[in-house]
Amino acid sequence: MNAVILPVVLPMLAAFLMQPLAHISAFTARLLGPLVLAISIAMLVQPWFLPDTGPFTVTFAGFVPPLGIVFYVDRLALIFAVAVPLFTLLSWGWSTDTHGDEEKKAREDALMLLLAASATGLSLSGDLFNVFVFYELMAVSSFGLVVQKGTGPARIATLRYLLISAFGSVLALLGIAILYAQTGTLNLAQLGQLAPAALHGPAGLTAFAFMLIGFGVKAELFPLNTWVPEVYATAPARIAGLLAGLISKLAALVVLRLLVVVYQDTSASQLLLLLGTLTLLVGDFSAWRSRDFPRMIGFSSIAQLGLVFIGFSIPGPWGVLAGLTVALHHLLLKTGMFMLATRWSGSLDRLVGCAKSTPVAAGLYLLFALSLVGIPPLPGFWAKLVTLAGLAEQGSAMHLVALGAVLLGSVIKAHYLFRFALKLYSRSDHPALRHGLMDLGTAALIGIALIAATIYVVPIGERLRAVAQQAADRDTYIATVFPDHANTAAPEGPR
Amino acid sequence: MIQLDFVTILYVGGIGLLAIGAAGLVICNNFFRILLALVVAEAGVNLLLVLVGYRGNAAAPILGFGPQGAQMVDPIPQVLVLTAIVIGVGVQALAISVLVRTYRSYGTLDVRELKARFEVDLAAEMGIESTPGSEAPAA
Amino acid sequence: MTSLDILFMVSGATLLTALLFGRLRLAEPLMVMLYAAQLWALIRTNTLFGDPVASSWQITVLVDQSMSWRYNSVSWFFAMLAIGAGLVSALYAAGAWMEKYLESGNSGHAVHLALAASVFSMVLLLGAADFLTLFLGLELVGWSGFLFMAIAGGVAAKAALKYLAYAFSGAMAILGAMALIYANVGSLEYGRVIDALPSMTSGQGWALLLLMGSGFAVKMGLLPFHLWQAQAYAETPAPGSVFLGAVFARMGFYDFIAVFISMVGIAQLAQLEVPNTGISSRELLAWLAAFTIILPTYTALKQQDARYLLTWLGVGQGGYMLLGLMVGDAGGTAGGLLHVFSFAITQAALLMAVFAVMYRTGTSDLNMMGGLARRMPWSFAVVLLGFFSLAGLPPMAGFVSKWLIYRSLASEGMPLLLVASVIGTVGTILAGYRLIYSMFLGRLRIEQEGVREAPPSMLAPMLAVAGVLLMVGFLPSPILNWVAAIQAQLGLPVVDYYPGGFSDPRGDLNMIWIVSVLLAGLGLAALAVFGIRVRSKRVHAPGSLTGGHFPDAETRHGYVDSFYAGLMQLIGPWYCDPFAWLERALVSGVRFVSSSVNRLYRYVQPTVFLLATAVAVVAWAINAGGF
Repeated sequence: MNAVILPVVLPMLAAFLMQPLAHISAFTARLLGPLVLAISIAMLVQPWFLPDTGPFTVTFAGFVPPLGIVFYVDRLALIFAVAVPLFTLLSWGWSTDTHGDEEKKAREDALMLLLAASATGLSLSGDLFNVFVFYELMAVSSFGLVVQKGTGPARIATLRYLLISAFGSVLALLGIAILYAQTGTLNLAQLGQLAPAALHGPAGLTAFAFMLIGFGVKAELFPLNTWVPEVYATAPARIAGLLAGLISKLAALVVLRLLVVVYQDTSASQLLLLLGTLTLLVGDFSAWRSRDFPRMIGFSSIAQLGLVFIGFSIPGPWGVLAGLTVALHHLLLKTGMFMLATRWSGSLDRLVGCAKSTPVAAGLYLLFALSLVGIPPLPGFWAKLVTLAGLAEQGSAMHLVALGAVLLGSVIKAHYLFRFALKLYSRSDHPALRHGLMDLGTAALIGIALIAATIYVVPIGERLRAVAQQAADRDTYIATVFPDHANTAAPEGPR
Repeated sequence: MIQLDFVTILYVGGIGLLAIGAAGLVICNNFFRILLALVVAEAGVNLLLVLVGYRGNAAAPILGFGPQGAQMVDPIPQVLVLTAIVIGVGVQALAISVLVRTYRSYGTLDVRELKARFEVDLAAEMGIESTPGSEAPAA
Repeated sequence: MTSLDILFMVSGATLLTALLFGRLRLAEPLMVMLYAAQLWALIRTNTLFGDPVASSWQITVLVDQSMSWRYNSVSWFFAMLAIGAGLVSALYAAGAWMEKYLESGNSGHAVHLALAASVFSMVLLLGAADFLTLFLGLELVGWSGFLFMAIAGGVAAKAALKYLAYAFSGAMAILGAMALIYANVGSLEYGRVIDALPSMTSGQGWALLLLMGSGFAVKMGLLPFHLWQAQAYAETPAPGSVFLGAVFARMGFYDFIAVFISMVGIAQLAQLEVPNTGISSRELLAWLAAFTIILPTYTALKQQDARYLLTWLGVGQGGYMLLGLMVGDAGGTAGGLLHVFSFAITQAALLMAVFAVMYRTGTSDLNMMGGLARRMPWSFAVVLLGFFSLAGLPPMAGFVSKWLIYRSLASEGMPLLLVASVIGTVGTILAGYRLIYSMFLGRLRIEQEGVREAPPSMLAPMLAVAGVLLMVGFLPSPILNWVAAIQAQLGLPVVDYYPGGFSDPRGDLNMIWIVSVLLAGLGLAALAVFGIRVRSKRVHAPGSLTGGHFPDAETRHGYVDSFYAGLMQLIGPWYCDPFAWLERALVSGVRFVSSSVNRLYRYVQPTVFLLATAVAVVAWAINAGGF
C-alpha cells in the first residue's frame, strides 16, 4: 500500500522543503528533486514484476468508501503512475541556465515536484473530489512552470492559459455539482452503480459535458485548446514537452474513467468522437501553416490527442486499447521531440540545413516523424491500425467519417513533417545550432526506447491488451471498490 | 406561479452570478475585468454547490451544534466549496501577480492590444517575418 | 532456413553494407557483387517454375493476425526485374559516374543506401502473403523511393515532397481499405479474404475497389494520379533515375496483380459495375489505362529536357501493361506482362544513354545539343535501339509485347481501345524521334566538339542491356516462358509460344522469321548504299556563300527552333491539363482550410470558445438525453 501512496506524498513534501533547503545547502537542494523522483519510480515499478492479481484499492485513515476517498490501482493507473515521475525526471532542468540563481532553481524544482505529486495522485484517484483537487494542483503548478522564462509574451500566454483553465475548472465544478445533485455521491464506483438510473438523462449528460470541457482544457480538446500554441511557443521546451506529453494524457485518463465507469452505453462517447475528430483535423491543418518548430509540434500534439479521444470513444476494451496505445506512443514521442525543440526554437527558416551540424538530432527527428506518421514497423503504425480497425468495426456513419478524418490528417501530417525534414537536410550556410548534451541524450534515449518498442511490439501489445481489458471492465471496478456490495443503496438524497 | 422561497432565490442568484461572470468573460476587454468576472463566476458556482447540499430546517454539520439527533445539512458540498474557494484564491493571486508584471512590461491590460503585441514580439523573437495586416501599406 | 530466407538475408546484408561502408570507394564493386549475389539467391529459390516458397519467419500481431512472406512465380518475375535493375544501376554508378558525382560535393553514401534500401524493400514487398506484410512492404518501398528522390535537393526535393503527398494519400487509402476488410472479414490474411469475397455486397466491393484501387493507382502512376512521376524520376541522380524509371511504378502494378487479378479475378471485375452507370470496373480500368497511354505521351512532346521527355514517355508506357491485363485473354495478358519486362530494359537503356550524354556534355537540355552521333556512336546506337523498342518496332522486345496487346485488342473486339493505343504509339514515335534528332542528329555544337564517348564503366551496362533488348526481340521464348508460368499461377489463359514467337489461331508471330527478313533487307540496303560508289564530299562552311555573307565556323546553321511546330499548333489548344489544375485546386483548398483554422487560434478573446462550447453541449445533452 505504501508503495502507491508515497509517490504522491514524498514529492509534495520535498517540494515544500525545497526552498528552505536551498538556503542551507544548494547542492542538496539540486539533488533532492531527482532523488525523490527516482525513489518514486523504484516504488511504482515493483508491482510490475509481481504477478497480476487484479486491481486493488487503497483507503485512507481507515475510512472505507463511499465515506472516504479511495485510490484505485489497476494496471492502467499504474502505467500512468510510473510514467509521471519517469517523464518528469526526463524533463528535469539539469542545466544551469538560471546562472547561479539558486532560489529560482529551487522554485522551479519545487513546482516540478508538485506537478509530479499531483499528477501521480490524479492517475490513481477514484473519487471525483480528489480528482478535482489534484487537477487544480496540477494546473497551478503548470502555471508557475510555464511563466518561467519571464519574457513579455510568456506572461501574456500564461495569463490567457490561466483564464481558460480557471473558467474550465468553474465549469467542471458545476458539472460535479450537478452530478452530486443527481446522485448524492462523488465516489466513481458508486456513481457507476447509480448511473443507469440517475445519470443517463439530460442532467447527467450535461454534467459529463461540463466536466469534459473542464478536463478538456488540459487535454487540449477542440475548441478549448487555444492556449496551446501560445504557451508552447513561449514556455521552455522541456515544460512544453511535459505538458503535451504527460499532463494532457492524465486529463484524458480522467475522462476515460468517467466514460467507462459512469457513462458507458450513452451518447457521451458520440460527443467525444465528434470533438476528437474536430481536434484532429484542426490540429493537423493548423500545423501545416505553422512557421516555427515548437508550434508545429504543438499543433501536431493537439491532433494526436484528438486521435486519443477518438480511440477512447470506441466502446469496449478495443477502444481503451486504441486510445491507450496512441497515448503512450505519443507520450514517448512528444517528449523526445520537445527535447529537440530546446534549440530549434525559432522560425523554421532559421533551421534550414541544420542536419549537417547536428546529424544525430536530425536523424532522431526523422525517426520520430516516421513513427508519428505511422510507418510500419514503428509503434505509431500499430497504434493507428488498432484505432482504425476499431472505427471500421463500429461501422456507423460518424465512425466512418472519423476514419476518413484520421487518414486525411495523416496525409497532412506526413506533408508538413517531411517538408521540415527536407529543409533540415538541404544545404545552407546557416550557423550551427547545437543541442545541449542532456537534451540530446534524453532524445536519443527516447529514440532507443522507440526502436526497442518496435522490436518487442508483440509482447508489449499483449500486455497492453490485458491492461485495456482490465480497465474497460466496469463491473470489476465497482466490485473492487465495494467488495461486499454493502453499499448498493443510494445515500440519503439531497432533498 | 413558481414558489419564491428562500432557496429558489438563492438558486437564481447563483445562476445569475455565473451568468454575470460568463457575460463579463465575453464583453470585457481588460484582463483585470476578466479576472473579476472569473471571481464572480467562481462565487456563483460555490453558492450553487452549497445549495445542492442544503436541507430545509437542518442544522450546521458540526457535532453538538444543534439539538441531539436533528438532521444536518450535507457536509460534502461544503467541504468541496471550501477547497474550491482556497484553490480559487490561489489562482487569483497567481493571476494578479502575472497581471502586475504584464502591466509593468507592456503598460496596458487591454486584451486586443496585448494579443497584437504578443504576436509581434513572438515573431521578432523567433525570427519569423510577420505577415502584414490587410490594411498595412505595401512594402 | 528456406531459400527465401537466404534471399532476404543477402538483401538485408546489402542494405547493411551500404549503410556501413557506403562512404568508401570500395563500396562500389562490393555493392555490384552483392546485387549479383541477390540475383543468384533469387534464382536458387526456383519459384518461377517450381512451387511457391514460404519464409520461415512469422510474426503474430493484433491477437491473431500472422505476418508471413512467400514467393511465387509472380514475385519471382518482379523480383528479377527489381534486382536486375539494381544490379545494372550499381554497375552504372560504379567508376566514372561516382567520381564525378563525388567531385561535385555530393554524398555517394546516400546513393548506395537509397539503392540498397529500395531493392531490399522491393524484395520484401514481393513476398507479401497477407495484407499487413503487403502494406509494410509498400510503405518501405515508398519511403526508400522518397529517399532516393530527395537526395539531390532543390528541385528534386520539391518533386519528392509532391511524390510524398501522392504516395502517402494512396497508402492511407489502402490502410482504410484494410481497416474495412478487417472489420468485415475479421482477418487480413489472403486466404480468409478470398473466402469472404463472394459474400460481399456490391456496395462493399465497390468501396474496397475504389479505396484499394486508388491506392494502387497512385503507386502505379495511373491517371489521374500520375503527376508525381516525371519530375521525381528525372531529377533523381542518374543511377536512381535508371532504377526508379525502370521498376518503381511496377511495384504498384504487382500489388494490383496480387490483389485484383489473383484474389478477385478479371471475371469478377467485369461483373462489378460502377454504381449508377453501366460501366464495369474492367472497362473503367481499361479506359484509364488507355488515357494514361495517350495524355502523358503528348505531354512528353512539350518537354525540352531529355530526362523529362523520357520519364513522361515512361508514364505512358505503364498504361500498356494495365491495358493488356484488362483485355484478359492469353495474348493480351501475355503482352501486358511481357511489356513489364521489355519496358524495364528499354527505359533503363534509354535513361542510361541520356545520362551518359549528360555526363559528357554537362547538360540535358535538348536545345543545347546536337550532332553527337559522330562523337558518341555507341550511345547513339543504344538510344536508337531503345527508341525502336519504345515505339514498338521490330526487331526489339517492345515490338513483341505491343504486338501481342494490339492483337488481343483487335480480336477481343475493343477497337476504340486499339485506336487509343495506336494514338499513344504515334506520340511515342514523335517524341522519341525528337529526342534522337535533337541529341544525335543535326549539327554538332562548337562547345561540344571535344565530347568523347561515354566512359567504359557507363558504356558496358548500356550495351549489355541493349543487347538483351535485341535478343529478346529476336528470340522472345525464354521470357515468354516466364510469362506463361505467371499466367498459370494467376489462373489466366496461357499463351501458346514456341522458340521464336507464339502461335495464335488467327496468325502466328515468328520473330526469327521477321528479324531475319529485316536483317536481310538492311543488308541489301547497306549493299545498295555503299556498293554504288556515291561519295559525298565534305564542304567546309566558308566555302559557301550565303546572301553575300561568308559564314564562319562559329555560326551555327543547323538548328531547330520549335520542334513539330505545326503539330503543336494543331494540338496546342487540347493541352488543358485538367489534372494539374485539379492538383493546384486541392493544394489551394488545403491552404484555405489551414488559414481559416489558424485564425481560430489568433482569436483575441481567450475564453469565448469555452463559453460557446458550454452552451452547445447543453443543447446536445438535452437532445441526447431526451427531455
